Amino acid sequence: MARRHAVQQEETEINITPMLDIVFIMLIFFIVTTSFIKETGIDPSRPEAETAYKQERGNILIAINSVGDIWMNKRKVELGQVRQLVEQAKNESPESSVVIIADQKSATGVLIDLMDQIRLGGVSNIAVAAEQTGGG
Amino acid sequence: MRRRIATHGEEAEINITPMLDIVFIMLIFFIVTTSFVKEVGIDVNRPSNAPVQEQKMSEVIAIRIDETGIVSVQNREVDIRAVRANIESELATKPDASVVVISDRDADAGLLVRVIDQARVAGAEKVSLAAMAR
Repeated sequence: MARRHAVQQEETEINITPMLDIVFIMLIFFIVTTSFIKETGIDPSRPEAETAYKQERGNILIAINSVGDIWMNKRKVELGQVRQLVEQAKNESPESSVVIIADQKSATGVLIDLMDQIRLGGVSNIAVAAEQTGGG
Repeated sequence: MRRRIATHGEEAEINITPMLDIVFIMLIFFIVTTSFVKEVGIDVNRPSNAPVQEQKMSEVIAIRIDETGIVSVQNREVDIRAVRANIESELATKPDASVVVISDRDADAGLLVRVIDQARVAGAEKVSLAAMAR
């Protein structure tokens, strides 16, 4: 009688194997899907475009505000620093591309100079952020 | 003797508790740091500084934006809403032509994006961007 009781006790232990399976699957999912997006620190008003689509690899964000200041990694940077910062960011994640968030009212000249600097930094996949509107 | 061996066997089970601790901490870290927000945008081609074969002007549809925001397609001033129709008719006569947007440095970036967008809607596959020389 006493022995049977002991066996019963052992069987009531919680089996954690299924929980572990789920935890590991979640862990792998989050490791694979995580991409560390660097916020720019400002939120300019984006232009609207019908052909805009999600930039899946756009991890490096650079913003231009309405007076032409360039923001990256939550601080204001000079045009000359952009190349080095892009090179650094590309070293951290070589697959990433750049998304420029240019304010509607910013001058095109700053945008074009910035694109040249980014290209010199070694990233040729450049997109300009836009709000998606209806249509195509 | 036999009993001692049995006890030993039971103790040799791997203790997975520290591994579980680490796995949970990693899980929480990745859950917290994951952001699924992706930027929405349009691709732009900027001709690089490297020498490329010069495009013949006959195969190019040039769209100019001047500093006051006036858009002209092939040297003809048009309204921003008419850009799409103009490019469509130009593309109908020259199906292989590529579209080049030549923007003044003081023009608004918003207007530039709208022009590139309209060119895409009109069916131009390659839209490149050039700055007007000073």
